[in-house]
This record gives sequence, C-alpha cells and structure tokens, in this order.
Amino acid sequence: MRLSKRGLLFALGLAPALLAFGGAQAQDALSGILKAKTVRIGIPTDYPPYGFVGIDLQPMGLDVDVANLIGAKLGTKVELVPVVSANRIPYLQTQKIDLIVSTLGKNEERTKIIDFSHAYAPFYQGVFALKATSIKSFDDLAGKSVAVTRGAMEDEMLAKVAPPTAMIQRFEDQSATTAAFAAGQTQVIATSVSNIGALSRKSPNLGVDYKLLLRDSPCFVGIAKGEEALREKVNAIILAAKADGTLEALSQKWLKRGTGDLPL
Amino acid sequence: MPDFTLWDIFRNLLMAARWTVALSLVAFIGGSVVGLALLVLRLSGGPLVGRLVGAYVQLFQGTPLLMQLFLLYFGMAMLGVNTSAWIAACVALTLYASAYLTEIWRGCVAAIPRGQWEASASLALSFGQQFRHIILPQALRLAVAPTVGFLVQVVKGTALASVIGFVELTKAGGMIANVTYEPMLVYSCVALMYFALCFPISLYARVLERKLQ
Repeated sequence: MRLSKRGLLFALGLAPALLAFGGAQAQDALSGILKAKTVRIGIPTDYPPYGFVGIDLQPMGLDVDVANLIGAKLGTKVELVPVVSANRIPYLQTQKIDLIVSTLGKNEERTKIIDFSHAYAPFYQGVFALKATSIKSFDDLAGKSVAVTRGAMEDEMLAKVAPPTAMIQRFEDQSATTAAFAAGQTQVIATSVSNIGALSRKSPNLGVDYKLLLRDSPCFVGIAKGEEALREKVNAIILAAKADGTLEALSQKWLKRGTGDLPL
Repeated sequence: MPDFTLWDIFRNLLMAARWTVALSLVAFIGGSVVGLALLVLRLSGGPLVGRLVGAYVQLFQGTPLLMQLFLLYFGMAMLGVNTSAWIAACVALTLYASAYLTEIWRGCVAAIPRGQWEASASLALSFGQQFRHIILPQALRLAVAPTVGFLVQVVKGTALASVIGFVELTKAGGMIANVTYEPMLVYSCVALMYFALCFPISLYARVLERKLQ
C-alpha cells in the first residue's frame, strides 16, 4: 500500500520535471550539430532511385548522396536515419533528426510546421496504370482503385484532383504501394516517375504506362521551424553544389535526366 | 540498381532476424520479470494494489501495441526525453508483455483450488513459502500452454517495431522488396523465417507440457 502511494507521488512529480527538461533542452540546431560533430539526416530507404538499399542493406541513392554532401560540407559525420513519408516530419519535430533529405515536397500545410531549404532535385509525380487501362483525365479515375503512399505529396494532390468515386487506397510506405500495384491489387498507382521507371526495368512484362502528370514538385531539405542558422548553412551548401554542377551530376547519375529549373 | 540474388535476400533477412530475436528475448525476459513482480504484488497486496495492477493490465490490453510504440518513441521526445528506437521498442514490448503475462498467470494461480492456500497456511507457511512451494509448481504446469502461446504472439508482435524505424525482419523485408520488386519472393522468405522462429517454441512447449504432467 505505502509503496504504491509513493510510486504514484513519484509519477506525479516526474511529469512536470520531464516537461521542464523538455523546455530547457532548446538549443540552436546548427551549434548542436557542430558540437556533436554529427548531423542526423532522415533519408528514404524505400524509394528508388532517391533512397534504397544495396546488397549489403546500406542505403544509397540521390537523397543519400545529398545527405552525405551536406555532412561533408558541414564538416561533421552523417548519421543516416531511415524514414518513410508518414513519419519523417514527426521525426524532425521531435528532434530525432536534424534534417529531412527524403524526397520532401513543399506545400502550404508543411511550411506552417517546418522550414525548407532551396530545392536540390527534381521530382515528377504521375498517375500510372497498365496499358489496357484507359485514363485520359482525372475524371477517368472514377470507380478505379488507386494505390498511393500515405502522407506523401501524391496523396494530397490526388485527394484534390481525383473524383470522389475514385477508390484511393493508402499504404504506409512506397514499397507497399508499389507492391500492391504490381500484384494487381489496385488498377492505378500514383507515384514518382522514377519509381515506375525502376519498376518497369525490373518487371518489363508488367506493361506499365504513364497516364497523367500529377505534379512537378522538386525535393527540398526539411529543417525544424525557426532554425535560421541551419537553414542558411544548408542553403549555402545547395547553392554551391548547384553552381559547381554537383547537383546536375547527381541528377544525371540517379534520375538519368538533368535537374531542370530548380526553384529557390 | 543492385541485383539481389536469392542468397543476398536470404542473408540480409537473416541478419535482420537477429534483431527480431533480440527484441523477442528482451520482451520475454523483461515481460516475465515485470509480470511476475506484478503478480506477486497483486496476490500479496491489498485491494487497492490489486486494482492498480488491474488498471495497468487494462491500459496495455486496451490500447494497440502500435500506439504504445508511437507514444514511447515520439511522445517521450515531445517531453524532452530522447529515446532511441531500440529503447522505445524494448520498453514498449516489455510493458506490453508484462501486462498480458501477469494476467495469464493470475488466471493460472486462480485456477489452483483455494484449499491449497488454506492448507499451506494452516502449516504456518508464510505467503512467500505458500506461493513458492505449494501454488507456483501447480500453477506453472497450467501456465505453460498459454504463456508459450503468448510468446509466439510477441515474436510476431516485434514486427510492429518497424514503424518507429527499427530495422528488424519485417522492415528489412520491405526494404529489399522495394529494390528487387519481388514482394512475393521476399515476403515468403520473411514468413518462412518467422515460422522458423515460432515453430520450435511451440514444439518446445509441447515437450515441456508433457514433462510437467
């Protein structure tokens, strides 16, 4: 009896202490990174060619290269943290990571909660289906099942343009979305052009066709709200990489196309 | 794009399966220790303690393990306590397993006739002696089957740790499926490995049950 009462009091006392600790932890992210000599960057491991795993399960891809580039320019070690579309922003908000370099598109809702750097790579999203499926406009999606990744840009875009009768099926990560479409669970898939490119190379017999352009939304680096010093530093790194052709080379290497006009 | 041979897929899954085993072991051991402590507390403490433990059990049985993982991983970070995925997964699985195990074992102890307690009390045994020498050996026999049944659930439950970015068997399977674009093959391998982990446990439980009869 006495023991449990004490336990309860302890728990009650602990909660405000934890809250106070949370408040005291606030520190400029850039100086935190430089002090720890490590920058923690959220990268995709389920989104070829931006981020995927090699034979030794080590991450590779365009985003991984950009993450390593940022780390090298900051002069710190890089800790690559695998994230998926749905959890990358919570990771940033809860300081599990310092930066998101994970095919992150910019939109109004997101700019309210996190900050963005300049764009570092192009990203085209589209609607794809088998050759036999006839889709000429978004209205043709009516009554069709569409696979999309929850929390990804495509999800949000699709919700705006698809007719209400389209059956949108949301999956937790890109691998589940792609697998669902490839297995014939859905008739249509909304994803990036490069993801479909990789899928077509791996299973040429599937006969996937490009149907509609959903959006051309370049990738930005995500930074916690109000971390101006870190944002300026990342912007400087991106601008320098753009000027010396590094970004163009990375885009050619992984996406087989140029960066095009990247917005600031 | 890297080309995975079947052996590459298998080898990587095996490496990731180590984490599934590690998580399961932590959940087994942590859950058993905490669960047993709660059981003793519940049996020896007064009605208030009993109700507190009951509330604890209800809390963890009534909420999805997924939410417990999210709360521990992201919720604690909001409070300023930075938990790694490993710590969060271990704590969540331990709490989860302890709640279920203490409830399973309570049922097993309750199944022992009241007379056994009374008889041992009449021999002037203390609570600890009654529990250890009279009740526990009998309850243990009853507990084997449901405990192992639950442990098999825990092994499979570790898959949920993938949602907080922990790369165990399921997560590794997802990652590989996404580069190879062969989900059927990869997930079959994953399922096979879970089976290879769970089946021997069930088998051992049968042997143990026979031995204890």
